[in-house]
Amino acid sequence: MSALAWLGGLAYFTLHWARVAVRCRPPPGQTFAEAYKIGVQSLPVLLTISAFVGSNLALQGYNAFAPLGGQRLVGMFVALAGVRELAPLIAAAMIAAKAGTEMASQIAVMRTREQIDALEVMAVNPFWWLVTPRLYGILLVMPALTLIAVFTTLLAAYCASVFQLGLSGATFLEFVTQSTEMRDLATGEVKALVFATIICFVSCYCGFYSEKGPEGVGKATNQAVVVSCVACVTFNYLVSQVLYG
Amino acid sequence: MDEAPVRIVNVHKRFGSLVVLDGVSFDIPRGQTTAIIGPSGTGKSVMLKHIVGLIRPDQGEVCVFGTDMARAPEREVYAVRRRLGMLFQDGALFDSLSTGDNIAFPLKQHHPDLTARQRRERVDEVLEMVELPGLYDRPTPALSGGQRKRVGLARAIVTRPELVLFDEPNSGLDPMTSDAIDALIGHLKETLHVTFVVITHDIVGTINVADHIAMLYQGKLVAWGPRDDVVRSEHEIVRRFLGRNLVLPEPGTAGHARLPSM
Repeated sequence: MSALAWLGGLAYFTLHWARVAVRCRPPPGQTFAEAYKIGVQSLPVLLTISAFVGSNLALQGYNAFAPLGGQRLVGMFVALAGVRELAPLIAAAMIAAKAGTEMASQIAVMRTREQIDALEVMAVNPFWWLVTPRLYGILLVMPALTLIAVFTTLLAAYCASVFQLGLSGATFLEFVTQSTEMRDLATGEVKALVFATIICFVSCYCGFYSEKGPEGVGKATNQAVVVSCVACVTFNYLVSQVLYG
Repeated sequence: MDEAPVRIVNVHKRFGSLVVLDGVSFDIPRGQTTAIIGPSGTGKSVMLKHIVGLIRPDQGEVCVFGTDMARAPEREVYAVRRRLGMLFQDGALFDSLSTGDNIAFPLKQHHPDLTARQRRERVDEVLEMVELPGLYDRPTPALSGGQRKRVGLARAIVTRPELVLFDEPNSGLDPMTSDAIDALIGHLKETLHVTFVVITHDIVGTINVADHIAMLYQGKLVAWGPRDDVVRSEHEIVRRFLGRNLVLPEPGTAGHARLPSM
């Protein structure tokens, strides 16, 4: 019942924002500042994680297929698992962990310090002021971050296959291109936009309605990252079932 | 146009089983300073949040400039809020902005016609008024507690509001800084000629700046009226709260109340 109430609250929060957003332009200057903050600051950790995931995919693919004589299929395995599923999810998880927690904790601290009340009293709609630049900012960078995660995963898997496992680079690339369609990349981009929306609204909602005090800030931050990740993984599964199931 | 800017009519509010306000009614007179006093947990801050429309009453109404803050459409509530300013307990300043940008914030939102230079001049003017000249570029986290209150006050008055609300302006301050804040409120009262509503525990400071006093106790209004009438009230709760030994000013004079040791 409390989960249902929570979802109802999130829906109300989202609708309230939408009602304000259709009337008002985003706060000037803030959208690009948020996009820069989310994009640039998340990049190093995204590159690192994507590179290690790509290397591991190649290694485990090799271990699975080599005993059967199918080590040439490593490229296909990396393409199917990495491009279609893991890279968009890694990007989402990193953004939830980095930008989502930052959104939730910042807004929760603002709640604790009465800054959200101050916005209201200064006749500035806090839904508009706090959510709009964050949503537009994350929507601007998330597709690009997902593409970067896809290509970093592939590059790392290529390097591991060729330089560590001794496979043919041309064969690897041939299987990657045969297994990957433009539709896969486009699906990844659509997923990225949905993930960005989920992460932003969940994180802002958790911060906005947090309990006051340090414990409330901690709970909001924790809840934001957990709910965002679970929601993104669930959505990803549903999309995969529809498209590839 | 002498209608009270704030009318509080039979306001009831409870949180769960806890009754916070129980049928409170009074008008806040225009152009005067009204202090809402009472022990902790008697609903003073809740009353203030009703006035600015952050909390809705379970019953009764709070009208500000003729607008029912609980039932009016959001656009009307926001229009009322543009006519008021509020000092929050710890200032509620945005740490990501400089002192000057914090003060200029409501100007940027509601007076986009002002040039950057005009905004700067207006901010410098209110910084002078709160006796913090030259602090425009100071980062907000570098401000002391007293300075945060003053900057919060500067932000509250920068748009030249008709009604200014103070939520515990002396809380967390040492006695000297607290006295300085009281003196500043008194000075602004003389200078701005707007309606002030002050919520406070600071009895001596309250009596020195207030024209009217409303006292809340256990969610009920136990005293309301001109300052001199309330401080001389024989009501037991009022006497106990104000202290029997408080040395009061002469009736009808601008003299200062003080404690016997002062």
